[in-house]
Amino acid sequence: MTKLEAIIQPSRLDSVKEALREIGVTGMTVSEVRGHGRQKGHTEVYRGSEYTVDLLPKIKLEMVLPDGRVDAAIQSILKTAKTGKIGDGKIFLTKVDEAIRIRNEERGEAAL
Amino acid sequence: MTSQSSPLSSLSGFYAAEWAGIGRQFANSGDGRAAVVARSSLVDAIVDQVYHHLISPERNAPLDLCLIALGGYGRRELFPHSDIDLLFLVADRPAETSHREAIAVMVRTLWDVGLRVGQSTRTISECSQLHRDNLEFNIAALDSRYLAGSPELFRRLRDDAIPHLVGRDRQDLVRNLADMTEQRHAKFGNTVFHLEPNLKEAPGGLRDYHVACWLTLISEIEKKGRSVAPEEHWPPALRAAADAAFTFLAATRCLLHYRYDRDDNLLTYELQDEAASSGIGSEPGRPLPTADWMRTYFRHARSVFQLTNRFLEEALPATSSLYGLFQKWRSRLSNADFSVLRGRIFPRQPSIVDDPALLLGLFELVARHGLELSREAERWVEECLPRAGAKAAGFPGLWPAFRRILNLPHAVEALRTMHRLGVLVVLFPEFAVIDCLVIRDYYHRYTVDEHTLTTLQSLQALGVLRRETGSGRPRQEEGGWERKLAEIYSELEQPELLSLYLLLHDVGKGMPVENHLAGSLDAEATVSKRLGLGAGDRETARFLIANHLEMSATLLRRDIFDSDTVRAFADKVGATERLKMLTLLTYADIKAVNPEALTPWKAEMLWRLYAQTTNYLTRGLDEERVHFGAENLAKVDEVRRLVSTSANAGGLGAFLEGFPKRYLETHSPEEIAAHFAMACQLVSAPVQVALRARERNFELTVLTADRPFLFASLTGTLAAWGMNILKADAFANRAGTVLDTFRFVDLHRTLELNPTEVDRFKTSVMDVLTGKVNLETLMSGRVNGQALARPKVPIPTQVRFDETSSSHSTLLELITHDRPGLLYQVSSVLANLECNIEVALIDTEGLKVIDVFYLTSRGSKLDSAKQDQVQAALLGRLSGDPA
Repeated sequence: MTKLEAIIQPSRLDSVKEALREIGVTGMTVSEVRGHGRQKGHTEVYRGSEYTVDLLPKIKLEMVLPDGRVDAAIQSILKTAKTGKIGDGKIFLTKVDEAIRIRNEERGEAAL
Repeated sequence: MTSQSSPLSSLSGFYAAEWAGIGRQFANSGDGRAAVVARSSLVDAIVDQVYHHLISPERNAPLDLCLIALGGYGRRELFPHSDIDLLFLVADRPAETSHREAIAVMVRTLWDVGLRVGQSTRTISECSQLHRDNLEFNIAALDSRYLAGSPELFRRLRDDAIPHLVGRDRQDLVRNLADMTEQRHAKFGNTVFHLEPNLKEAPGGLRDYHVACWLTLISEIEKKGRSVAPEEHWPPALRAAADAAFTFLAATRCLLHYRYDRDDNLLTYELQDEAASSGIGSEPGRPLPTADWMRTYFRHARSVFQLTNRFLEEALPATSSLYGLFQKWRSRLSNADFSVLRGRIFPRQPSIVDDPALLLGLFELVARHGLELSREAERWVEECLPRAGAKAAGFPGLWPAFRRILNLPHAVEALRTMHRLGVLVVLFPEFAVIDCLVIRDYYHRYTVDEHTLTTLQSLQALGVLRRETGSGRPRQEEGGWERKLAEIYSELEQPELLSLYLLLHDVGKGMPVENHLAGSLDAEATVSKRLGLGAGDRETARFLIANHLEMSATLLRRDIFDSDTVRAFADKVGATERLKMLTLLTYADIKAVNPEALTPWKAEMLWRLYAQTTNYLTRGLDEERVHFGAENLAKVDEVRRLVSTSANAGGLGAFLEGFPKRYLETHSPEEIAAHFAMACQLVSAPVQVALRARERNFELTVLTADRPFLFASLTGTLAAWGMNILKADAFANRAGTVLDTFRFVDLHRTLELNPTEVDRFKTSVMDVLTGKVNLETLMSGRVNGQALARPKVPIPTQVRFDETSSSHSTLLELITHDRPGLLYQVSSVLANLECNIEVALIDTEGLKVIDVFYLTSRGSKLDSAKQDQVQAALLGRLSGDPA
């Protein structure tokens, strides 16, 4: 099993969720986060006051998938989250040792 | 543990069978009260049998132990899966030790039977003490009921220990109950109007009913030294409503327990459907539409909620002479029509009246001071409403009175009271369709009317925040977004209009229309007409209601850091005042979905979209110009229609051509038509002046041909008359006709107190612009402007240039502190340096001035040398003590 973590632009969330749903990935955790990569920050001025936009709002998606579905999920995310501009985000993968469904204590891929 | 041959071995089967029988009986009758009493009796029988088998076969023995039912069990209110609370009351510690093993066996046996038992063992002395870390025990003991064992021990508990405790610690008990209730209510948003309410814990639920009972018990025990049936001591009207509510809630909770097969009290959508189709709580077997059934639930919950809050308020003592002084001060809030006593309003003349002004005056008092109505006042309202309400619809003073209410610090408290008493739907029948309306939605937690009132509450909270933090520059910090939004709220010219629009924005959800926005717009049309709102305000209302979801859609679904997104959104909004209203409406709307909906993350996104759009609207002004005939503008068609009978109608296109689009966005068709009429007079009178008194300031409109020093002349004239300019717009069309609008405050009330000065003022403006009067001469005899207050936070003068926002002008942004004659000083500097003002946007936020000028010099942008000159001149002129 693999945990897939994707940081994406907030405006891409609906498209990414829909694309994942189409390939059968319906379970995920969505968080509102802030961050930056190389795009870093910039200073804006509003009515004479400067404010720094250094941590930009992003969306983090997390899901644990059977290994066989990871590639399809990655491709779906890449297809729908990409705008081609700096700030599109990143995908991270980590191995998962075990998954357990709390309701009925199912384990392994059956719990996903 | 029971053995197979023990008399107790069949108890679990017996309990299960009897329990199921109670369930079948409930399914047939729908009678929740009977079901809870039946289960209590069943458990009594089992507990009695177990006690006498394991502890004492003799009645009324042993003498040093007594078994007592507490809490719900003590009240004979055992819901199908409620826990059993038992108290083993012992005479002393040795008795506790001697009975410990038997008690443990008894409790285990009851668990084996299938009962979930919570048990405590206490001495009499412990029962008369306040357990600050376990006040729930003291409260539960109020509902104690004898089951078995020593009657004498029970008597000592009921007649000595508890009255002694209540007599000594009444305030702590009541305060604790109040605190727990307040926390519980806050957890549920302080409202009964949840789409899926928790029948036990939510405001207006069974726990609130019990709180009301406990408060009465405490009061009666203190007075009489013994326990009573609390409901019997309630006023008959309150008791009838509470009884009906309990019957309904009890039946519904039984249904939930049977369906969930555990102690779960969430009234989900599915269970609402089942309860409605079974007629649970009302007429068993008679199905109801779910929406109607839920309205019944809300009605009952509301009456329980009010009952509890009332009893809490009456029970909480005046803790200090300071409180007494506060209450005495509140009495001074009485007026000719209403008196205020102990924080509640009473009508001086309780006879029935049909005067809508008097009725509205009552709620104005609530809105002004946050007072509550006495029971007498509520009765008076209910009796007056049919007659006064019928007159209110056509009452010309309705909007002035209602807008006063909306602008007062406790407006939402007044609106909630009006809604609760049915006044709101009489004044605004359009609102009736969303009364207690449930719209099933994954995100929304409240009924539609509660959601609407909660949006207004969010706005009101911004006003409070603004007053608490005072004026000053916004600071960049985590979680400062609400403070920034509070600043926007304080800048609104007519915040009461935003409140009115919010009241109407979702009424369409109660109409049989496909798109609720269309329904809300219909409601707005009828309300605006009835209230006599101006065309400009109506236009704004229509825009906001029609687009009230636009900003949240943009910030969640579009890239707000993309300039195309900002441009598209700005084009849709058109003007900064509308943007402010839409931002605040969006903030309030999201916040009212549920308590967690507006995360700091979303608030930040909302703020950033607002700031970027403001910057775009301000800086992109120069680029967006009207091209008459090239674009299909609905507003222009309306203006065309208004001027169609004028002999000069054909000149409309030339008049509008070249104005910034902002001109169209910030003026109604009627205003534009009036400006056109003024422009038509320029042939005979080259300076056209119009002056209008507004509620809080004056508006001067000047139309004339552009020329050097024009803006400086106008601002100098205003300064000479001692007028403080709050806002100004300066636009020019392609033909070179300038339309300047100034909103100013008459600091010395010259115009207000001397009506003849109005014409003299207008003549003065014309004379300066036509050269008849020399501005310097006028200014030498000027009224010395009042020194404005020193800003608490220093506002250093900032001058910024922007070369990119406009293709043919240089944008100058000036931030500084306000002072008399400021705009004249600035425009003089610009004029002296041969800078032509193409567009000017002047605004003030408290003592801070934000001026934006689109400048050209000799028809081109300002080169860097000119910019340096301008900057140096402005900084030199404007630096120094503002006083």
